[in-house]
Amino acid sequence: MTNPSGISVHKSEDGAVVSVTGRIDAASASLLETELSGLISGGERAIIVDMGGLEYISSSGLRVLLAAKKNLKKSGGDLSIAALTPFVREVFEISGFLRIFPVYPSVEEAVKGKGPVG
Amino acid sequence: MILEIKDLLVLLQMICVIIVAAYFITRTGIFSEALDRQLSFRSRVYLILFFGILSIYGTLSGVEVLGAPINVRDLGPMVAGIFCGPVVGLGAGLIGGAFRMGLGGFTAFSCSISTVLAGVLGGAIYYLQRGRPVTIRTAVGFAAGMEMLHMVLVLILSQPFDQAWDLVSRVGLPMIFANAVGMFVFAKLITNLLAERRTKAERDSYHDELQRKKAELQIAADIQQTFLPKSIPPLKGFDLFAVSCPAREVGGDFYDAIRLREDNTGLVIADVSGKSVSAAMYMALSRTIIRAMASWHPEVSLALADANTMIEEQSDSGMFVTLFYGVLDEKSRTLTYANAGHNPPLMLRAGSSDFSRLMPTGVALGAASEQEYGEDRIDVLQGDLLVLYTDGVTEAINARNEEFGEARLMETILMVRALSSQEIIREIRDAVREHAEEEPQFDDITLMVLKGV
Repeated sequence: MTNPSGISVHKSEDGAVVSVTGRIDAASASLLETELSGLISGGERAIIVDMGGLEYISSSGLRVLLAAKKNLKKSGGDLSIAALTPFVREVFEISGFLRIFPVYPSVEEAVKGKGPVG
Repeated sequence: MILEIKDLLVLLQMICVIIVAAYFITRTGIFSEALDRQLSFRSRVYLILFFGILSIYGTLSGVEVLGAPINVRDLGPMVAGIFCGPVVGLGAGLIGGAFRMGLGGFTAFSCSISTVLAGVLGGAIYYLQRGRPVTIRTAVGFAAGMEMLHMVLVLILSQPFDQAWDLVSRVGLPMIFANAVGMFVFAKLITNLLAERRTKAERDSYHDELQRKKAELQIAADIQQTFLPKSIPPLKGFDLFAVSCPAREVGGDFYDAIRLREDNTGLVIADVSGKSVSAAMYMALSRTIIRAMASWHPEVSLALADANTMIEEQSDSGMFVTLFYGVLDEKSRTLTYANAGHNPPLMLRAGSSDFSRLMPTGVALGAASEQEYGEDRIDVLQGDLLVLYTDGVTEAINARNEEFGEARLMETILMVRALSSQEIIREIRDAVREHAEEEPQFDDITLMVLKGV
């Protein structure tokens, strides 16, 4: 059950896919923040966060996602979420973040669903 | 070369004395001033005397070869110059040189001049380094080069030349070697000293960082305490109680009970994203805005919509706050509420063992602009129980990473429903603590209980 968080990044011409697994709490949220702000300052415009392997996300984790999304919006990009697990989906639902983020069932659909960014 | 073993032993003794002298002087506070390049006048005088005397010792301890001592007279001024600057170098050189001059002999002038030059040239290197530490290689190279220069000066300045040549060919190499070794001893000790000072500086800055972090935690906790209500207003027909226990690293939870109009009280429970001072500041901001909006707008949905706009404008770095806001009318016994992304409060009706959830009616405050919030109304009759909480309660984990969870919270409430609000809160906190055992909790635990009586 104890599962340290893992963050991996896969870049392609369609954008960057950041896969997060395990638990995103106050401590690991800063790792995700470093990763995302690195991508954004590196010029990435379309970021998909793959949450297929995520067991838990705290409000600190949501804050990091929201900050990244706000930053991307400034430069005309966007951040979308793919493959929510049931627990994480509930967190998104209650906080209302399902309405703020584009959410897709899978990474493939998130890539397709985005279309021309603008 | 022509030197005998006995002479080499004397040289070795000399080096031992130098090691002791080097150890002694580098451990003094005066020498720290020199390394920091902040020598006071008094310290300069002490260092000039010390290295001047070392130079005299270098002359006196020399081994006689053809009336010219093989010596480390130049070492003191060289070290003085290269590590303590031109002034100290020159001062020590003058003392060592004057003493040598007084001894006389056909090399008196050339040797004296060399000693003064040793201090001055050391000072020049000190100057050229511009505060960068001198490496052992540079220092030893300088010492060897300086002694070669010394020999050249003897050849040029001392008459007759034949005699000078004879002398230099005998003592040249041993002199260069002896002074280079002496310089190595000093440079090595000083390099070690610098490394030690660096380690200490790192340790100190780590310690400072810890102190700062601790102060920050305290400041965050103080801010949070300041912005919690001092007391809860008494309500007619209701028993209300609330508590917030901050985590070690404050999470920015808060609650409020605001007297609005006759028989009307606003109830708030909220959880700010993030930790520590930023969360505490954001909590203070949110609480102030909510209080203002609550007094301004009779409708809870409008109060939240306006609060969201104001908070969103202040939300850098993705901060947001989940917040439940309800207005309790004591006369009509109704609670009109709007829920901005907060975990649903649990309602337990008198005589029932099924809970209902007061679901969100909009997005967390500060997350997105131009949000609308729905509102809903429930009755709170005698025996009804409403439990409002933050996720620190349900997400408290034990050593096996199992959360306390909503199910355990409901079980606990069912067992203690007959008690007063204050006792119910205490029982829930005990249950959470029992579940978490020794595991440190990362989030604030905040609870508000409203009971119809």
